[in-house]
Amino acid sequence: MVLESKLRPGEAMIRVEGVTKFYFGEPVLRDINLEVPAGSNLGLIGPGGSGKSLLLKIVAGLVEPDRGRVFVDGHDIQALSITDLAALRFKIGMLFQNYALFDFMNVSENIAFPLRQAGGFEEDAIQKRVKEQLELVGLPGIGHQYANELSGGMKKRVSFCRAVITEPPILFYDDPTAGLDPVTSSKIFIHLRRMQQRGGTTAITITHDIEGLKDICDAFAMMERGRLIFHGSRDAIEDCEIKLVRQFWEGVSDD
Amino acid sequence: MIKAVNRGLELFGAWFMSMAFDVGGIFVMFARIVRAMLPPKLDGPETWTNLYRVGVKSFPIVVVTAMFTGAIMVIQAGLYIEQYGAYGLLGWGAGFSVFREVGPIMIGLMFSGRVGANNTAELGTMMVTEQIDALRALAINPVNYLVVPRFIAMILMLFLLVIIGDLTAVIGGAITSQYLLGVDMELFYWSLVTYVTLVDFSSGLIKALAFGFAIAVISCHFGMTVRGGAVGVGRAVNNSVVASAIAIFVLDYFLTYLMK
Repeated sequence: MVLESKLRPGEAMIRVEGVTKFYFGEPVLRDINLEVPAGSNLGLIGPGGSGKSLLLKIVAGLVEPDRGRVFVDGHDIQALSITDLAALRFKIGMLFQNYALFDFMNVSENIAFPLRQAGGFEEDAIQKRVKEQLELVGLPGIGHQYANELSGGMKKRVSFCRAVITEPPILFYDDPTAGLDPVTSSKIFIHLRRMQQRGGTTAITITHDIEGLKDICDAFAMMERGRLIFHGSRDAIEDCEIKLVRQFWEGVSDD
Repeated sequence: MIKAVNRGLELFGAWFMSMAFDVGGIFVMFARIVRAMLPPKLDGPETWTNLYRVGVKSFPIVVVTAMFTGAIMVIQAGLYIEQYGAYGLLGWGAGFSVFREVGPIMIGLMFSGRVGANNTAELGTMMVTEQIDALRALAINPVNYLVVPRFIAMILMLFLLVIIGDLTAVIGGAITSQYLLGVDMELFYWSLVTYVTLVDFSSGLIKALAFGFAIAVISCHFGMTVRGGAVGVGRAVNNSVVASAIAIFVLDYFLTYLMK
């Protein structure tokens, strides 16, 4: 069921070419070009409403761009059939900004859902992995609860477990630590780093927690009002002269 | 003056575009459902859950409403039955009107208000909370997983509920005729089975299938196209109930004409 990779040697795992998106005639993303090499983690930063989450949804094939193309694992995702796109998605894990937990399932069922859909796992093995994931994010024993019984931070952690349980080679995190206390945020970032080191996962991470991001990302991109105003390595962002980039990186404002 | 005319035209244009979007969207939703059902592949647990929620949970309200509807039909007809002494036509009058019109229309409207509105709200909430996106991100087609089971459950269950409702209404009518009008239940029953034909009964059931189909497609369309958070969900539920009611009456008109 999983789509075979078409990645050529030296080609980036994720490639965004000239992506533009309009809403009600207004451009919300303008000519975005971006590359994420295999095994690296790109930190995507920028003010709220700058189009980061929309770009992530376009890269995940959930929203179609009006112009431009997106290549994931060597596949032009706009050219894929529905079946092939579904097969490619088995390689992708996604953590949504608003948790997106299924409210008709309890926590265990939510986390186990990707494993059950992928198939080939014994029920005992599924339960064991669900339990391990919950312990990892500091939520043991809440498997029977429903999403509406959880706090925002707990939902975020459960959503995180669901995104990573199949250990997909590509991961998209939309604000993985929003609403979490510093200790849990740190645990999440440690887990992200471990996954990075262990499996060579390719990831795009959106967060406002710049300090946490510095630990896990190899490259950074910054967006403002639908435009990409910076894309480069850690050294490049540290030397960047663009005012807004500096403000974000150093966490200082004009005032 | 010109400004007011322009504004009026602008509003009419916006209303027309929005209606065209919804009418077109309803057909697109139907096409997506058909596509998702070819080849036939059903999510068993999701279908059973929906059959239960849509059908079993609606059962009590359908029984109560139908019972009183049958009784009201008899009370209304009773005025003329007594005037002309046509007691032998009471069962026919109640059965004919309930089977052909009142049963499917009443239960259809109630079904649209209870099940259709709930369906739109549920799918709409899933849209605005990114649950539909999450399904797609997990390689699940939301039409296959969420819409098709609801579509099947709504058509099947409205059909069954109309059968149950028709029979309950007749029982309600028979009880009322006996205890309020003093018309013997046996006479009521004789009149019913003698004059009411299978065509009367089945034409109501054909309407039930058509209404179930319309409510299912309309409620799913409005649910799956929600935008704008909680306000958007509320607006979608309202539009879904109004559109379903219009569809029920328009379909009823054409089906009545075709089966007259």
